[in-house]
Amino acid sequence: MPRALDLYFRLVAVRVRAQMQYRVSFIMDTLGAAFTTFVEFTALYLVFTRFGTIGGWTIGEVAFLYGLVETAFGTMDMLFSGFDPSFFSAQIQRGVFDQFLLRPLGLPLQMFTAEFVVRRIGRMLNGAAIFALALTLTPVAWTAAKLLYLPVVFVSAILFFGALFVIGATICFWTVESIEAINVFTYGGTYMLSYPMHIYAEWMRRFFTFVIPSALVIYYPALFFLDKPDPFGMPPFMPFLAPLAGAGMLAVAFVFWNAGVRSYASTGT
Amino acid sequence: MHLALIRLSFQRQLTYRAAALAGLVTNAFFGILHAYILTALFGARDNVAGYTIPGVVTYAALTQALIGYIAVWGWWDVVNSIRTGDIGGDLARPVDYFTYWCMRDIGRGLAQFLLRGVTIMFFFALFFPILVPPSAAHWVATIVSLALALVCSFAWRFLYSLSAFWTQDAIGVSRFAMSLATFLSGFLMPIALMPDWAGSVMRLTPFPAMVNTPIEIYLGIVPADRLAFALAAQAFWFVVLAVCAQAVFALGVRKLVIQGG
Repeated sequence: MPRALDLYFRLVAVRVRAQMQYRVSFIMDTLGAAFTTFVEFTALYLVFTRFGTIGGWTIGEVAFLYGLVETAFGTMDMLFSGFDPSFFSAQIQRGVFDQFLLRPLGLPLQMFTAEFVVRRIGRMLNGAAIFALALTLTPVAWTAAKLLYLPVVFVSAILFFGALFVIGATICFWTVESIEAINVFTYGGTYMLSYPMHIYAEWMRRFFTFVIPSALVIYYPALFFLDKPDPFGMPPFMPFLAPLAGAGMLAVAFVFWNAGVRSYASTGT
Repeated sequence: MHLALIRLSFQRQLTYRAAALAGLVTNAFFGILHAYILTALFGARDNVAGYTIPGVVTYAALTQALIGYIAVWGWWDVVNSIRTGDIGGDLARPVDYFTYWCMRDIGRGLAQFLLRGVTIMFFFALFFPILVPPSAAHWVATIVSLALALVCSFAWRFLYSLSAFWTQDAIGVSRFAMSLATFLSGFLMPIALMPDWAGSVMRLTPFPAMVNTPIEIYLGIVPADRLAFALAAQAFWFVVLAVCAQAVFALGVRKLVIQGG
């Protein structure tokens, strides 16, 4: 295990150094990634000044969701770059994945080091800034339990979003092309989770709680941090299912992944 | 000959139908979320700055329908033409470079409008109460306004693509330019719902001509007696952007010639 970690850091360092060779390009891309989220949030913020609340939530409370989602997704997007379905489908098409299977190195380690897109840090930092703004706008009554649980939720959300990438990549074993529907859950999911779940249709809320448990990693924990009552009258342990949903989803994703690897037939490229 | 360029570009898009339709599911999902978010913001209000709840739902559908038409999330034709050196051949054509790409973009836009735009609107009409323009005059003005929105957006896309003459990072520059346009054009949120000061500032830029104006005309937020003015403003911005684009292009070509291509 220490050897694997050592290798991981070395291989990631290679990816990072490679991207740093084009410094101006790197800075532009990082700022660009941050700018996209920045204008989206700014547009929302400006419109909020006219309305005041959305479904009873203030801008500070929405920023709490928004910042948490963006930071976790941005971090995941960097750590799981190798599993990014659009990147991975290209690997399959070019036959690069076949080489992975031949190397005397564990497949997961190779997947996690195949790519490491540093510019995603832009989205992450912008998310962190929105989260910081949330904390100044909305007074969170911090307790020891909340302080301990926040990093747990953050990691759970990263694992959860990572699981979606792994599932999206696995589907490429059969379809070769990255399927578009996965974007609904990844990019569409981050957009959806940036707002309180009760503003959406009942079927959406149910689907994203019980089938794809996105709401368990963001919305329910946020109810706990912000001391908001649960409008759906779900059991009081709902906010604490985040680690189960995150780790469980990733475990399921890797079971699926292993099945995909076993049934993989090369494109012959 | 201009018509031939439009037709060829239109047919090319139709040939790659599958590619043109990719992203429709995601567009529809984003549109649905946007509609719920705007509806929730309205809460118990039924009219804010001319927008009603069916109005904002239609706004959400229209923005998604426009994505392919005005290439909100990316258009690399001119960047690639400059980068690969194809521009050399393009400059030898008997049409001016700006006009050549403008014609091709009109063909591209028309195909996207029919394949994606219309599909998205029908999809929304199935599940949501979608509004239609309130009068015959608004219908006509909407069509003219959509045409002007396409050429305005083209001129802006052409302009930022010219950064490829000076930098290797034209794609990075373009992403900034695109994000800025999504914000100022009213693509992310209706300009009328912004605070008055922000809305006034945004209306001083060419960007509302690309998204906000055709939507406000479609929804009847622009009254009948202001339609001509709204269209004239769009035409004005097209001329301004086109003149800027041609001037910057002339500078870029000079640099290209000095370098010897």
